Amino acid sequence: MKMIGLVMAMSLGLAATAAQAAGPTDPQIAAIVVTANTVDIDAGKLAIKRSHTKDVREFAQRMITDHTGVNKSAVDLVTKLKVTPEDNATSQSLKAGGEENVHNLKMLKGAAFDKAYVDHEVAYHEQVLGAVDTVLIPNAANAELKALLVQVRPAFVAHLEHAKRIQASLTGKM
Amino acid sequence: MSRTSIRFFLILLTAASATGLMPALAAAAGPGPVTYEVRIDGVRFDPQELTVKVGDTIVWTNHDPFPHTSTAVGKQFNSREIAAGRSWKFTARKKGVFPYACLLHPTMLGTLRVE
Repeated sequence: MKMIGLVMAMSLGLAATAAQAAGPTDPQIAAIVVTANTVDIDAGKLAIKRSHTKDVREFAQRMITDHTGVNKSAVDLVTKLKVTPEDNATSQSLKAGGEENVHNLKMLKGAAFDKAYVDHEVAYHEQVLGAVDTVLIPNAANAELKALLVQVRPAFVAHLEHAKRIQASLTGKM
Repeated sequence: MSRTSIRFFLILLTAASATGLMPALAAAAGPGPVTYEVRIDGVRFDPQELTVKVGDTIVWTNHDPFPHTSTAVGKQFNSREIAAGRSWKFTARKKGVFPYACLLHPTMLGTLRVE
């Protein structure tokens, strides 16, 4: 429950941060995208080390591979566009939330770890999808950056669906 | 086929060739195998359903920045991992309806019909 509360607080924080600003610039969007992917890669790396459940480990590996691929595309694009990612309140909030999540997960093991990791993945992907739809895509000024966000959005949807399936399969195993 | 039958067949073939019937015969056999493209983009197969004929080739091209597979549920074909920007092709040899999926992304589904 503590983990869910943390994610809820992060979601609210992200929405509030996004709402306070007039809207992120392209360099800020680039930083948010890279951070959002990195946060999920770090959680996935921990899950590969800690989990003994095949479905959870495969999901974690998928998060590492897919988000690394998305980050490579994002970095390639901003390099081509000569855009330097600019740290901002939203990317900082994501980073802090990711670090806290990893810190909390490190205190768990076995079924409790699996449940906390997967629950967080469901909430995190919902949170990031919300930000993609309401903040990032609407504010992206460069057409290629906007197109990249539109292209990778379905990956977040697929990950959310995948995480929900594992979440359902874990229910009752605690 | 007996030797007489073979000789008769060869005579017919020669006559057809001499009278200019050969191109017509070739055309009557219909066009050759066709190559179809399935685009993998945005974590989906496009088109999701495809109907081909035996002998046709299907090329799956991955436009996403991470790997996918094209794997028949009954294991009649399996691309293994298709890396970002890469393709994999399969020539249909057997009639049937083959539902397939990406093993890495269980929400990605497609159907190949071979007639």
